[in-house]
Amino acid sequence: MAHSFKLVTAILTLVVFFNNAFAHHAFAAEFDREKPVRLTGTVTEMRWANPHAWIYVDVENSNGEVVNWALETRAANNLIRLGWRPADLPVGTVLEIHGWQARNDSPTASLSAATLPDGRKLFAGTPDQPTQAE
Amino acid sequence: MLPYLWILLALITVSASGQTLPQTADGKPDLQGIWRAVNRASYDLENHVARDDMPAGVSVVDGGEIPYQLWATEQQLRNFENRSFEDPLRNCFLPGVPRIMAMESPFQIFQTTDHIAITFEWQQVFRLIYTNGSPPLYAGIESWMGNSRGHWEGDVLVVEVIDQNDKTWLDAAGNFHSEEILVTERYQLLDTDTIEYEATIDDPKVFTRPWTIKLELQRQTHMDGILEYQCQAEKEEASGDFERDENTWYPAPIPVDNEPFDVDASESLPLPTTLAEIPRFSDGTPDISGYFMADAGGANYGLEKHDGAILLPPSRGQVVDPADGTLPYQAWARAERIDRELPHRGYDDPTAHCFVAGVPRSHYVPAPFFILQPPGYVVVLHERMSWRRIALDDRGHLPDKIRLWQGHSVGRWEENTLVVESQNFNGKSWLNETGDVVSHMQTVVETFTPVSENQIIYRATVSDPIPYTRPWTIEMPFNRENQELLEVACLEDNVDLQHLKDVRDEYRARQIDEE
Repeated sequence: MAHSFKLVTAILTLVVFFNNAFAHHAFAAEFDREKPVRLTGTVTEMRWANPHAWIYVDVENSNGEVVNWALETRAANNLIRLGWRPADLPVGTVLEIHGWQARNDSPTASLSAATLPDGRKLFAGTPDQPTQAE
Repeated sequence: MLPYLWILLALITVSASGQTLPQTADGKPDLQGIWRAVNRASYDLENHVARDDMPAGVSVVDGGEIPYQLWATEQQLRNFENRSFEDPLRNCFLPGVPRIMAMESPFQIFQTTDHIAITFEWQQVFRLIYTNGSPPLYAGIESWMGNSRGHWEGDVLVVEVIDQNDKTWLDAAGNFHSEEILVTERYQLLDTDTIEYEATIDDPKVFTRPWTIKLELQRQTHMDGILEYQCQAEKEEASGDFERDENTWYPAPIPVDNEPFDVDASESLPLPTTLAEIPRFSDGTPDISGYFMADAGGANYGLEKHDGAILLPPSRGQVVDPADGTLPYQAWARAERIDRELPHRGYDDPTAHCFVAGVPRSHYVPAPFFILQPPGYVVVLHERMSWRRIALDDRGHLPDKIRLWQGHSVGRWEENTLVVESQNFNGKSWLNETGDVVSHMQTVVETFTPVSENQIIYRATVSDPIPYTRPWTIEMPFNRENQELLEVACLEDNVDLQHLKDVRDEYRARQIDEE
């Protein structure tokens, strides 16, 4: 039990670090650790911006309405140095998303993990593997 | 062969007026110095009459007029009409090339064999021009200022600027270009105090043919350093969007209830030892030039050790003096530090507004930086778009009233260590996202000690009698990497600030309701 707790903590720490690489503002101020979100959405746009890149996804809510969520991720420069390029995340890609929602309750979240339908993780590539997923 | 070489060198060093021109140690025209365009090109490159927001001026375009395609002429007219709100500079955005070269604020050129750095007063923009023949590492990645590669053609510096985006204008009159723009610049010394600057603009999407502007840059002999114009910070301070901190901003006094500041309490730490051979210049000075990234261990999230939590990365703690790793806060400043970690204070961190990070934070924000060692200076270009100029000539500090985000730095070499003393800070900076406190009274003594070919041990000792009871020191390694700087157009892409403002405003509204 203690062992698995440690493992969970380690993964969480890794995820948190991943998410905050190149941060330029306090994430805990903008996003709420009490509001974890799990979404499945379709990529409508990715903004390759600094100090943070943003992925926009259309998500259908329980009422059948489609809401466009903004998901904050690392700096574009960070992704570029890891070997990622804008063409690597085409519009229409389906993503399963974990994150924390913004405190102002807008459809905005800090992205902690994004998974493709086949289970591969987004932005887990290395400079030697400039592909969409590991 | 040799006599011809001498004749060639003699030609290079004498201008048309017969004046001897400054030359670098490797025999190139020496462009190093402070320069400024003295003309009206930044308002409108073409002939123009005076208007309420621009003085009249004569065209700097070869042939007088810009050869627009028909559709583009119409676009330029629309831009001109809407210039008061559509000009990217009205939003303090990065100006692009060649516009940055023609602006009225001064800039400083630093020159080494492999690189030329141009540091601008305006928004602390810089350009790093590679003259070492290396191809761009990230060709195809567009940016506001583009990617500059230079070479010498005789006594002319020729710079090709690629990969600029389509968002900048060429002047304040709405002259514009597309993302296909290629700029070829030519810099030639006419005399000791004049550079003839030419820029040829090739953009088949917008123009019918390549065209050239020509203007003179004049050496600013009365200046020994350029200052800062943080356009966005000035705007936000004027509008009230960025609020004064009465405890830290110049000229806040030392609080009357403070414990006395014990300047002698700090430990004298022995400098790190250089264990391996380090690169050196021919005069023996350590060569610490190049691209570095701090192994900062989470300094940007707190200088005292803390564990990570959701949305808060851990910090391994960087404080080496006091030995217990705790910052020696005055009681009120410790309370302020704790308050700054609350969500409604996230908006108050200057870097959340994309303002300059200050010293020592610029080194661990986290983003890489590039060190150059031109004659007489050490220059640091920070990817988060700011620069530091460290003069090595013992020139003393600026008058007390001149206050800067990056402070004023003078440096010296003590054996293998670069020692840098900085003061004249404005007190607006935070030391990290969780708000470690610093004021305008801070003085910083930094040491950069190369311990091997690829590592510098960095220390910064901060003495600040407003928030602290004694000086303290942090330490971290800087690691050299085989990389190139990219651009961070922070302000242009900062969509976080409104969220942070919402959190603050909601908190304030709740406070009012409770009253």
